[in-house]
Amino acid sequence: MTHLRCEGITVRFGGVMACDNISLDVPEGKIVGLIGPNGAGKTTLFNVLSRFQEYESGHITYRDRNVDRKKPHEMIRLGMARTFQNLNLFGEQSTLDNILIGAHRHLGNPLANMFSLPGARRTEAALVDKALAIADMLHLNHQLDKTVKSLSYGWRKRVELARALAAEPEMILLDEPVAGCNDEATAELEEIVRSVNRNLGVTILLVEHDMSMVMKVCDYIYVINFGANLADGTPAEVRENPDVIAAYLGEPTP
Amino acid sequence: MAELITTTAAPAPSGNRAAVATLRNIFQMQNWVLAGLFFAACFAYPLLPFVEGWMVNQAALVIIYIMAAQGVSILTGYTGLVTVGHGAFLAIGAYTAALLMKYTGLSVIPGMIAGGLVSAVIGFALGLVFLRLAGAFMAIGTLGFAFFIGSIVNNVPIFEGRTGISLPPNTVFGFEIDDFGFYYVALVALALTTLFVYSLIRSGVGRAFKALRDSDKAAESSGVSRVLYRSLSFSISAFITGVAGALNGLIVNYVSSEVYADIWYSVDILVAAVVGGSAMLFGPFFGGFFVAMVPFFLEELYDFAFILKGVVLIAVLVLAPVGIAELVSRPVRAWRQRKLLEAGESPELADAPGPSAGGGS
Repeated sequence: MTHLRCEGITVRFGGVMACDNISLDVPEGKIVGLIGPNGAGKTTLFNVLSRFQEYESGHITYRDRNVDRKKPHEMIRLGMARTFQNLNLFGEQSTLDNILIGAHRHLGNPLANMFSLPGARRTEAALVDKALAIADMLHLNHQLDKTVKSLSYGWRKRVELARALAAEPEMILLDEPVAGCNDEATAELEEIVRSVNRNLGVTILLVEHDMSMVMKVCDYIYVINFGANLADGTPAEVRENPDVIAAYLGEPTP
Repeated sequence: MAELITTTAAPAPSGNRAAVATLRNIFQMQNWVLAGLFFAACFAYPLLPFVEGWMVNQAALVIIYIMAAQGVSILTGYTGLVTVGHGAFLAIGAYTAALLMKYTGLSVIPGMIAGGLVSAVIGFALGLVFLRLAGAFMAIGTLGFAFFIGSIVNNVPIFEGRTGISLPPNTVFGFEIDDFGFYYVALVALALTTLFVYSLIRSGVGRAFKALRDSDKAAESSGVSRVLYRSLSFSISAFITGVAGALNGLIVNYVSSEVYADIWYSVDILVAAVVGGSAMLFGPFFGGFFVAMVPFFLEELYDFAFILKGVVLIAVLVLAPVGIAELVSRPVRAWRQRKLLEAGESPELADAPGPSAGGGS
């Protein structure tokens, strides 16, 4: 069953075609990769799908429901979370607070919440417990009381992933989760992405430049180039596709 | 990156949450005790033998400034929207209470509540109107709103312009109250708004405000509705400042546009919020005291008072850019932060955890 589908997405920035009639299909429960050379339009497409970016034409459906006119905060209510390529965290706040804000959609009635009524306090305690469990899963336990700006880049990436998970999403858009990480951290994040997908049943759409990670974790891959669909298929198919090799990988992989 | 490698190699340690939670509770108790002592002292102040009516009156003015600044701090400190026009909500609160009192004979407490509620409704609407404004544009927009309200109270007949509305003596539950009685009404109101702000900033709603302040984009991608939470922040902020406005009118039994069309009111309460520390619970207490008392202390200096006030203001902003409250509490908070980190990293006492209890990898 299709979880997220977009058809004929076109975005123009002035004279530049950032996305030119892009279509893709993310099946439920799968990890789908979105790759392409720098400037291919991956992040623009991500912004379109998470509804931060308006587009000229095309349609998006989430679980067979048209979401063309949704706002970013409504997408998360439907169950779709995202992370950002250049990180978008609350630097002055603690790691725990950063994770907790991710759980915003489970807050309940804001009026009861701000007066700290008994029901709201129970909800709050449950949210904290959940945030702690997620922190545990991402090995963030020792960072919880530190401000995010004091953390290294690799940790911040995890905080962002933790924040996305705190929403208990059905689907996550991950924008370059291992950029700037060394091999060991990458391997660990690979494992985390897999376990989020398998154990929590979360559908994942992944943009990543680290080819070995993409090939390892993805069930299916879309390749875009110059804002347009170039190819799609299983990792093995994409790896062998001559167009992809020419446009993206440059030379055949060993 | 070195940290990342070590966590990869070692089995995932579970931070000592129990120790941290205990410490947090202790710190919280300390805060409650301090706040309790403070309010007890405020309660006892009028009972001191040398205290006269005018001194109590001055103290009530300080309380009014503190509340007005609390309102500003919700919007400016916690939500990150600078308002240079909050005097408008003082005016709305004051005129609502005055008109209701004059035409329907409402007493002090319902007058305060009505002043707050009317402010809150107008504040919510203003939040919607200013949805897209940020930074300097928000400052100018709110300034424009203050001018707008100023010209309304100056020119619309019901507000009686510069002549002003004179009010009968204040009553509470049918009893006439003097300066001492009024002080206690204001003090109880302040205690309630402080409790509310405390609850608000620790709640998920407060978290959403701070999220919008620090990154619109990240807040929205976490599901925080900008429309709702901005307007909510405007509304709460306007409510508290509106209550302060009602008290400000009732304390002198007189409301006129000479006072409320003056833009300096807005500047004063913004200064109170910022100087005190707008993103700290007790910031407005320092700031409100500062703004209300500096002219009082410097009264004999006439025009020099303004110059000195400016100098003091600049000195405070240079020495304590995040507010006096931050300056005062910095050593305490640094010490507490260190204790929390130590507690978090200390080994678990009773139950030794297995690696990665959350079932991650």
